[in-house]
Amino acid sequence: MIGPSSSHTAGAAKIGFLAQSVLGKPFRKVRITLYNSFADTGMGHGTDKALVGGLLGFRMDDERIPIALDLAKKKGIEVSFFCEYDSERHPNEVRMELYSASGEILLTISGQSIGGGAAKIVEINGTSVWFGGMHDVLIIQYQDVPGMVGFFGEVLGDNKINIAYMDISRDAVTERAMAVLKLDQYCPENVVGLIKQNPNIIEVISIRRLSEQYSHT
Amino acid sequence: MNNTAIPKRLRIQSLQDVRTQMAQYDLHDLADFFMLYESKNQGMEIPSLFARMEYHLLVMQESIEKGLQKPNITKSGLIAGGASHLQQWLRSGQYLLNPVFTEVLMNTLAVSELNACMGRIVASPTAGSAGVLPGALLTIAKHHHIPKERVVRSLFVAGGFGEIISMNASLSGASHGCQAENGSASAITAAAILFALGQDLDCIESGAAFALKNLLGLVCDPVAGLVEVPCVKRNVVASVNAIACAEMALSGIRSVIPFDEVVKAMDLIGKDMPSSLKETSLGGLAMCPSARKITQSSCPTKKDLMKE
Repeated sequence: MIGPSSSHTAGAAKIGFLAQSVLGKPFRKVRITLYNSFADTGMGHGTDKALVGGLLGFRMDDERIPIALDLAKKKGIEVSFFCEYDSERHPNEVRMELYSASGEILLTISGQSIGGGAAKIVEINGTSVWFGGMHDVLIIQYQDVPGMVGFFGEVLGDNKINIAYMDISRDAVTERAMAVLKLDQYCPENVVGLIKQNPNIIEVISIRRLSEQYSHT
Repeated sequence: MNNTAIPKRLRIQSLQDVRTQMAQYDLHDLADFFMLYESKNQGMEIPSLFARMEYHLLVMQESIEKGLQKPNITKSGLIAGGASHLQQWLRSGQYLLNPVFTEVLMNTLAVSELNACMGRIVASPTAGSAGVLPGALLTIAKHHHIPKERVVRSLFVAGGFGEIISMNASLSGASHGCQAENGSASAITAAAILFALGQDLDCIESGAAFALKNLLGLVCDPVAGLVEVPCVKRNVVASVNAIACAEMALSGIRSVIPFDEVVKAMDLIGKDMPSSLKETSLGGLAMCPSARKITQSSCPTKKDLMKE
């Protein structure tokens, strides 16, 4: 990995990388809030560069991480940082808001760097989630009507994709639900297409596990 | 290797579990056990795991070379080419003990300084402690002519000990202080050295237990929040500690406290440690007058602005 800190640099790069995998499309602006130890010592550890490098799709051993802020600027991505203290949050936590060129918010996502370069995503668009790149992940947003879990569970099962873990939650206001599934097999595009055929499905994002695409140095 | 009756996944929670399962599945080599453990739990074949670890070894070797190519000077200027100084000192022949010992110091510092300059290293177990394993293990391997294959295998042993520490305590300075970073690095390095030298599990366990015990209680109080002072030179202490502990274990000394209990103690000490001493730069060395001056001049984060 790229130093100087596995939790403040490499773990941060992984959170950035996971965030852009979850978004799955370009963004033009990001507001990054660093919490607690990330806020206290993050700048000195290059947490800022690592998060932005990850958001640009760099892996944690990419030697472009030290110049990631300049590269983001060249790409026309606006980056701003904020520091906050919140004892309810993990010592090394970050929250990111990603915006489109027109200023529309595309994604809010929080991640925690838990040491040794390991990291996990703990919140997406206000919903608590928990994944760290060890499994293939499928994120499904849908209108909360009966039978949805059965529906996508069956599609996955028909395609020989096994669900290892699943979290579901619902936004009380919008009545939209989100399921985060950790899978034993990656969910390919054609299966994502099958799930999207259901009119109650809003969005499906399939993320490959990091061990297949990510360096461990 | 007799693979009969080995389940689909292996679960360990302690070194004692490793000992029990090695007997249960008739495995006699610690590296074989940890490779099997990784293979089962990551769903990867052993040859590809081995190839990945070979690559890690290569990056470790490169990080020593790169760290010695030129003086590494950080943006803050707190780290100013210490490995280069040691390199010249070594060449001058004025070393205190012998050239290999000085080489350990130099190689450890080289990797640790490269890390502080955002160079590429192998976290072992963390980036802040990345100098220890290459600095001590690779230097000893070179001088003891240990074949590359055995060095790679000993890295699996280091990884296995790191896994046990991470499951029962922590590897993060922000959560358990420097004992979790340089302490763990020193313990896994002692284990790797003893494995590389062909020692049995009892000897390896004692070396790792000594190394972690010696660094229990070490706090994480980096000046200006940078992984520079005191982190870089603590890597050297952890390297030397690993070698000292390995040598004590080699001579037949055995740890009174089993490794698993030392890890548990580290966990409890980490939990008792105030947050000011866990990578927040709000206590310890980071609050010395000189350190505060550096903080104000080198990296004004929001918190520092608020303090004024």
